[in-house]
Amino acid sequence: MKNRKNQERDTIRLTVNDVLQEFEIGDQRYQVAACDTLAKTLRETLGLSGTKVGCNQGACGSCTVLLDGIPILSCMTLTVECDGKQITTIEGLADPATGELDEIQQTFIDGTAFQCGFCTPGIIMASRALLNRNSLPTETDIKDALSGHFCRCISHYQVVEALQTITEKKKK
Amino acid sequence: MKFAKDYRFIGKATPRKDAVDIVTGKAEYIDDLELPRMLHGKVLRSPYPHALIKNINTTGAEKFRGVKAVLTHKNVPQWRTGTPRHVRILDKKLRFVGDAVALVAAETAQMAKAALDLIEVTYEQLPAVYDVAEAIKSDAPQLYDEFPGNLIPLDIPVFGPQTLSSVKLGDVEKGLGASDYIAEGTGSYENIPNPLPLEPPGVIAEWSGPNSLTVWSATQSASWHRFIMLSKMGFPDIRTISTQCGGSFGSKNYSAQPMLYAAALAKATGRPVKVCFSKEEHFGAFALRLGSRFCGKVGIKKDGTVMAVQGEWLVDTGAFSDMAQAQVAVGLGELQLMLRCANWDIKSKLVCTNRNASGIVRGFGGQELESALLPILTKALEQGNIDPVAFFKQNYVKPGEGYYWRDGNRWVSRSKDYSKAFERGAQTFGWNDKWKGWLKPTSVKEAKRVGVGVSVHGNADVGEDVSEAYVRLNPDATVTIHACVAEPGMGQRSSLCKMVAETLKLPLERVNMTPPDSLINPFDFGLVGSRGTYAVGSAVISAAEDAKEKLFKMAEDVLEAAPHDLDSKDGMVFVKGTPDKGVPWRSVIGLMQTCTGFGRFEPDYSLPNFIAMFVEVEVDTETGKLDLLRVVTATDVGQIIDPPSLAGQLHGAIGSAGIDTAIFEESVLDTSNGHIMNLNMMDYKWRSFTELPRFENEILETPIQTHRFKAIGVGEVSTSPGPSAVLMAASNAVGIRLEGYPLTPDKILRALGKINP
Amino acid sequence: MKTSDSCKIQVQEIKKVKAFKHFNATSVDEAIALMRSAKGNANLIAGGTDLLGVLKDEILPGYPEAIINIKTIPGLDDIEENGKGLKIGALTKLVDVVTHPLIRKKYPLLSKAAEAVATPEIRNMATLGGNLCQDTRCWYYRYPHHMGGRIICYRKEKGPCQAIKGDNRYHAIMGGKVCFAVCPSDTAIALTALDARLEIKSSQKVRRVSVDEFFTPRGNILEPDELLTHIEIPKPAAGVRQEFLKYTLRKPVDFAIASVATVVTMKAGTCKDARIVLGAVAPTPVRAVESEKILKGKVASEKGIAAAAKAAVKDAKPMRMNAYKVEITETLVRRALLPILQSVSVK
Repeated sequence: MKNRKNQERDTIRLTVNDVLQEFEIGDQRYQVAACDTLAKTLRETLGLSGTKVGCNQGACGSCTVLLDGIPILSCMTLTVECDGKQITTIEGLADPATGELDEIQQTFIDGTAFQCGFCTPGIIMASRALLNRNSLPTETDIKDALSGHFCRCISHYQVVEALQTITEKKKK
Repeated sequence: MKFAKDYRFIGKATPRKDAVDIVTGKAEYIDDLELPRMLHGKVLRSPYPHALIKNINTTGAEKFRGVKAVLTHKNVPQWRTGTPRHVRILDKKLRFVGDAVALVAAETAQMAKAALDLIEVTYEQLPAVYDVAEAIKSDAPQLYDEFPGNLIPLDIPVFGPQTLSSVKLGDVEKGLGASDYIAEGTGSYENIPNPLPLEPPGVIAEWSGPNSLTVWSATQSASWHRFIMLSKMGFPDIRTISTQCGGSFGSKNYSAQPMLYAAALAKATGRPVKVCFSKEEHFGAFALRLGSRFCGKVGIKKDGTVMAVQGEWLVDTGAFSDMAQAQVAVGLGELQLMLRCANWDIKSKLVCTNRNASGIVRGFGGQELESALLPILTKALEQGNIDPVAFFKQNYVKPGEGYYWRDGNRWVSRSKDYSKAFERGAQTFGWNDKWKGWLKPTSVKEAKRVGVGVSVHGNADVGEDVSEAYVRLNPDATVTIHACVAEPGMGQRSSLCKMVAETLKLPLERVNMTPPDSLINPFDFGLVGSRGTYAVGSAVISAAEDAKEKLFKMAEDVLEAAPHDLDSKDGMVFVKGTPDKGVPWRSVIGLMQTCTGFGRFEPDYSLPNFIAMFVEVEVDTETGKLDLLRVVTATDVGQIIDPPSLAGQLHGAIGSAGIDTAIFEESVLDTSNGHIMNLNMMDYKWRSFTELPRFENEILETPIQTHRFKAIGVGEVSTSPGPSAVLMAASNAVGIRLEGYPLTPDKILRALGKINP
Repeated sequence: MKTSDSCKIQVQEIKKVKAFKHFNATSVDEAIALMRSAKGNANLIAGGTDLLGVLKDEILPGYPEAIINIKTIPGLDDIEENGKGLKIGALTKLVDVVTHPLIRKKYPLLSKAAEAVATPEIRNMATLGGNLCQDTRCWYYRYPHHMGGRIICYRKEKGPCQAIKGDNRYHAIMGGKVCFAVCPSDTAIALTALDARLEIKSSQKVRRVSVDEFFTPRGNILEPDELLTHIEIPKPAAGVRQEFLKYTLRKPVDFAIASVATVVTMKAGTCKDARIVLGAVAPTPVRAVESEKILKGKVASEKGIAAAAKAAVKDAKPMRMNAYKVEITETLVRRALLPILQSVSVK
């Protein structure tokens, strides 16, 4: 295929957890291949393994990250299409300066809103996006927002309870 | 007597020790781990359910860029797994679609995967058999030369020479003769669902010498994993390390196939190799539940006494038996716990068929047997119009009563009478109001009909097998627990720290545990069968008390008092009554020394636990949709150690191929081509956030005297009563005896006569 | 499946890992030109939630040389209202279709159908055009290659349809011919009921087709050098009632087992017009024409609705395992139509 200017990129730049990352496109370890998913780039190229891959088919929610603030499935996103985007992963939630945890993270700790923890980063990212767009979600809003998240240990009840703890606090 | 409110940590919700790591993404699961020079292993899988490899040519794959080794049945180590050891890593014969044909190790996973397509294979297809009754017929295709009739031996001494494979007691003919109601039939629980932890199975293996292997795995039981693999691999020295486990529910207890593939490729390449299954492989080539078919009779008297249980239990383990014999043994034991009966005659057969093999799954045989048998039994209850709650309450094993457990020995229950817990559950659920009689709905509103059901289950493996622990007291008043305990989600690592912190009266943050590594810990059988709290807990507490005793002995001279007059709190040792005149641990132990206690738990199968489950369902008779509205569990745990962890274990009834195997969970095996068709998380159905039933747990705390904190575990048992309870509830809702797990719309609509043949 | 005793698995000539080149198109013309130069060996990528799944599981024998990103084409994700009705860019994300005030108000059927798709994260990524163009979910078609080899079937390489003798519980109960996989798109059903037109561009021309025409039992009618650019929905008549019902084993997440979309124009208790569309029962959306005839021009009644529901499945030809879909579809049609009785009582 003919190589046209600006269509096939040589490099891409994306911001991950407020740090600008630049990648050459190629198949070396430190590069990003056209077929690399965002999940792969985050986990293997950037070493941010907090984002999990459960099914690699977009059906379990464990790879959820925020792309320009919107929760998306990183295993079904090509990194080369994230040029110019802001990505937030689970590692980016805590305050980078003080290390203080995000309110959702702290509430999950306090309420043990997890069991094996594999689904937890994805659930926390989706919850963060929910609370960002709606600070007082109802129980139905919470459940709908998390409907794409598979948890087999069944931490669901404790997750919903933890998120409701946050909304109760805000109401007061 | 100590009350819960007197404890500092026990019974109180405390943050888990790994909580921060989990919520920040730092917890390290197997696929997060990378070793230097690590290769990736992939598996070429059989297109046929039953075939011979006539020819296999790997030259193309070997030459592919990045490939370091290709293994076939011709050059793979002759290790064998399974019970008995009949499963080769790679065989000339393939026994299910997805069975391993060849292994490739390459620099990247993509390279390994691409190389698979270059392996040329010529197959000779053989006829396949999928049905358990068909498989034992004389003209059935034979899967193994060594197992004529596709019958896998049950007389393997997995639990000793009398390992339970049948139950014989009293005189069933007499018992049937004395029965008022007899029910007969065949019950089937053969939807072979997948426990489906979110994290797929994965293992990294590395040889540090010709006979020295290290394995990283998401195993529930690192030291047991080591023990079980030793004999399969010709006794190399194995070090097993558990990574943070993304759910197991039994299935990753030792992940034999990924482990052996990784070890074989690591041996061939001289480099560490990671074999992580895809989710599709997780569905199609990793542990499913056993298939279970029971054909027999149950006789009961008007007053609910069970007079006889007779029949044959056909157990389908798929292409091989991983530990099916153990599940048969425990299943038969668990059935006796819930049905007090003087006359038993149950025989079992273990059968192999051409589909992805069954493995260790929570419920461990009991769920499978009960789900198949109870629908037959309830026919007798229906005949006699006997309330199932009254029946189950009456017939759950009482203290002082006996049962054959898995080792074939007769045990007597030292556990408690769980009637109170059961009653509490029934009350909370509102059973007396909701139960209208057999095959009668609780309520009807146009097309929607509500029904209720109940079931019970218990396990005497609460005290199974051995656990050992060291508890090391450090001079700085911190404590290190050496116990080989993994973290697959129960929070047991943290709960054990709580037990030690409580015993030694130390702040919880000062007590920590070594990583689950078989090299640096004594033996622990693992977190299975609800044994974490009782068995592992007892070992750890015993070690802590031993350490405390040693500490006080060391303090004798320092404080000039007899050990029995001493106490310790917050790292200070003092004479009882004068806590302000204490000395710090370092003054007793010494700065460059430690004080270590040892504890060991010996098996005890006399402590059955108990769970009852009440369910309320709604059936839409115009669409066949079955909705789970409400679940109430009831149990007695002696003493809650950590409330949220316990609640999580009970909620787990909805996961791990539990309740929902009656509603929509199944592995769809297409017998026209031997393929499992729903190898993905859209076609395999699981419960989502938006359809959570109302869930309540009634947890009584009647102290168990033989545990320091009076506690007994219940984690493993919560799934088992689910399927039969739902079957009962749905049948009551529609007024027709429904059959067949799961109760998908076609089954319900057909039973309602709404589908023309 | 092969029936001979000795079976050799075909070996492909591969020198290195399959990889595609990625191109960002900046205009429709560019995208089309790129597709043409790839000579059929390229795929367009919008949300990617279908395409990447297809590629990862290697369900198809071929593999694209190039992936052409059309998200970088400006102007294809606008939603504009004009005198005729609504024009929605094909690259509009499903989440925007769900939440757009205009769509929610005047075309709630489409909003509801879009909301019934998959999960929130998928709806944040997937596009309306992509939902229409997505490939079928037949589990024979979708069988992953690394689990023993992809399954060859009629749709892929003119092999036999595996569902006929196999597990066809989710397959078509009508309209199946050589392929019995159902149309998986929820928005297609809604858009058919709304009488939408699809604007398709190629290098030569622009054409508009109705949604029914877009689908055939062998997939959609897009030529290798065509791009779906807009969805045009005519303004609904006054007094219109729109309904969308989707039957799944789980809510939501799942593809439909059966679905129904209805657009019924009522006036003083009489049905002036009705469009009833069945989903997930056939390879294409199905207009329940007989049902529509029963209702049109008459005062709406429970009896009429029941008759219409029955007529909707009259010609169903279930396969061995999917007869249950007939009952469910009939029930859905009835339940979707019952609300029109409210306008009768208001008279």
